[in-house]
Amino acid sequence: MKHRKRFLKDQRILLALVILLIVAVVSIINPRFIAVKNLITIFQQISVIGILTMAMSMLLIGGGIDLSIGNIMVLSGVVMARVLGDGGSVMTAVALGVLVGIACGLLNGAVIAKSKCIPLIITLGTSQVFYGLALTISGGRIMSFGGAFNAIGKTRLFDVFPVMLFVLIFMVAVSYVLMNRTRFGRRIVAIGGNEKNAFLSGIHVIKYKILIYGIAGFFCSVAAIIFSARIDSITANAGAGYETSALTAAIIGGVTFDGGKGTISGAFLGCVLMGVISNAMNILQVETYIQTIITGGIIVSAVVLSNINNMKKK
Amino acid sequence: MNRTEERTPLLKMQDITKEFSGVYALSGITLDLYPSEVHCLVGENGAGKSTLMKILSGAYVPGGGSIWMDGQVYKTLNPVLSKELGINIVYQENDLVPSMNVAENIYVGNEKTNSFGFVDFKAMVSETKRQMEELNIEIDPLVKIEDLSVSDQQFVKILKALSVEPRILIMDEPTSMFNVEDAAKVLELVRTIAARGIGIIYISHFLEEIRQIADRVTVIRDGAVINTYENPNRDIRISTMTRDMVGRPVDTFYQKEHHPIGDVMLEIRDLQLEKGSPRISFFVRSGEILGMAGMVGAGRTEIVRAITGADRRWGGEILINGTKVEIHNPEESIRHGFAHITEDRQELGLMLGGSVLENATIVGLGRKIKGFFVNIRKHPVFIQPLVEKLRIKVPDVWTEAVYLSGGNQQKVVLAKWLFAEQEIYIFDEPTRGIDVNAKAEFYKQMSALTKQGKCIIMISSDMPELISMSDRVLVIRDGAVRAELTGERITEQEIIKEALGGGKDEA
Repeated sequence: MKHRKRFLKDQRILLALVILLIVAVVSIINPRFIAVKNLITIFQQISVIGILTMAMSMLLIGGGIDLSIGNIMVLSGVVMARVLGDGGSVMTAVALGVLVGIACGLLNGAVIAKSKCIPLIITLGTSQVFYGLALTISGGRIMSFGGAFNAIGKTRLFDVFPVMLFVLIFMVAVSYVLMNRTRFGRRIVAIGGNEKNAFLSGIHVIKYKILIYGIAGFFCSVAAIIFSARIDSITANAGAGYETSALTAAIIGGVTFDGGKGTISGAFLGCVLMGVISNAMNILQVETYIQTIITGGIIVSAVVLSNINNMKKK
Repeated sequence: MNRTEERTPLLKMQDITKEFSGVYALSGITLDLYPSEVHCLVGENGAGKSTLMKILSGAYVPGGGSIWMDGQVYKTLNPVLSKELGINIVYQENDLVPSMNVAENIYVGNEKTNSFGFVDFKAMVSETKRQMEELNIEIDPLVKIEDLSVSDQQFVKILKALSVEPRILIMDEPTSMFNVEDAAKVLELVRTIAARGIGIIYISHFLEEIRQIADRVTVIRDGAVINTYENPNRDIRISTMTRDMVGRPVDTFYQKEHHPIGDVMLEIRDLQLEKGSPRISFFVRSGEILGMAGMVGAGRTEIVRAITGADRRWGGEILINGTKVEIHNPEESIRHGFAHITEDRQELGLMLGGSVLENATIVGLGRKIKGFFVNIRKHPVFIQPLVEKLRIKVPDVWTEAVYLSGGNQQKVVLAKWLFAEQEIYIFDEPTRGIDVNAKAEFYKQMSALTKQGKCIIMISSDMPELISMSDRVLVIRDGAVRAELTGERITEQEIIKEALGGGKDEA
């Protein structure tokens, strides 16, 4: 009885049901939606945002937030493009891009952990810095990758499954294991749950905070690779809005601003839901402007729905 | 005081029931209250006191029964109706706005306005002053709440509750945050308020206090009224109340067993919290409970926080078993065998949103549970035995800490440190605001720890606990050790004398 109740209260079940419902309804209207090819397209479309959502979720669960993830991704991508443009190898480009991503994350983490300032404001500021750096490096122009990342962008396993799909699944799996199955992750959850308690319980809060921001930065650089591989180019302003989308997907998935709560699997489902809705509207040929309105409405209703338990409390 | 039966009651609650998902929190409570009466409500945590009060304040809808007021019968109240009827609560938790001053806080939601409809600060301040004079409280109405001491904040809360001129005032553990002196002031205040004709429902764990203040005492256990006693001569027996609360006589309450005391385990030499602050030196021996007495704000918590590295210290040495150790943060203190059961469990000791399991393993993870990869689904094996040993009442270890009663939450904090198997246990107000059975469990575990040859520092403001559990007592005043009491000298008079100061050898 107790277990059943907990099962039904689990936001992930609710999310999965909503996703299935949408899939069913849209498929009846337009059977093309349920085709394997389209389903794969959906996952392709959410691959970048999915990886960023993982980064955001790990930070939120740990009691932090990072509004600069979109611009970390862009800066990392621009650096890779620049290295390639200057005649560097793909390996050098990727290595430098990843290093830049991790460095940006560590910088965020260090400032936040040491200064004890609100991460929201700090990362709003660093986001500008990263954006400015990306503008400087790119000279504000579109930077081409010249097909360097085609191995990731174009290859399909068995001619069906794109490589980026596996990268997404791999990154989700890494986040899941990290947060649920490692001492590191459990301590991050503890810090998010009650930082003072974590400190008094012997957890080196500053160290862990810096590390989790660094990991988030790494995720951003992986997202940058996927992003660049998909469209074979990048611009400095390509990251705009990604941080809010990642935040939205995480919150829909049951991760909260308060920290210590939420699951990686839930956040991923949140991301899938957003992808399904967006794809469905395209298939149903909803006008773009109307799409924006509908997306906003769905976000608000999803968050309100998921908060029903809290509303009853007061 | 007039005999109650000749007068009309202010309030009658008849056969009130309330259930939460199939479990009865209240199974038919009947309670009445007369004007000018102080009606005390006692019972363990989870007995149903708070649930009953939430029904009165309109926060909960009762499952059955009726509430009679002013000749009207209500099936249920709501917060607005409850306010209109003149029922007001002084909550245990702080509901003041720290950045506002005293007068503003008192009138939050009830602001006085001038004829233009603007907020009239002058009127609020002068009215606050007038109220304070009448009630013999001395606080500057223009001081911000965050600059007030905890006890003054409590007085402001009471003033705030009075500002809406209630007819029934519910006070939920008003003195739990006070030292002895201020607690006496609160009791005086309660008498003054009652004399105005206001009926007071007074909830407290301090039975001595109840004996002094109650006109009537109702004991609640498991959601039912066990007994209601008249107390016209202020002579109700505390043992009578405890027996009713627990359901058995509590003769074996303080389970102090005397174990042989061994060598010095922890020694503190010349500890200074800040430059120029008093030097503090003391020691604790294996198998010993060292009590730390003192008024609230005397600096006891600060001393132990400086030792465990929770706060910075200016200077001093820490020796464990004769060897000097370096401790700069809690992580290092834990590595050296310290366990620190902090004063404020919700703020400092628990992840409220985390499960019992997550809370109990937070220290042991990495120390008792090794390896980088962990599988929390296998962790109940570690924690379940502690849940049973400490009799933590939970459906299972996956229950979130926020749903537990105060006593059970505190047991979870203890479980986390017992699981880590530390050597030096620091308890900071371990039994504050927890029920009698949970208290007894704590005393039992403390004795078990000393039996194993571990040592304990216990900060406590609960005199009976301090006196019966400690082998030695240090009295702290103004951040310094003022006295060390042993054997026969560990008495309430002696402790209070030293804690308040004024001895002839003091400046």
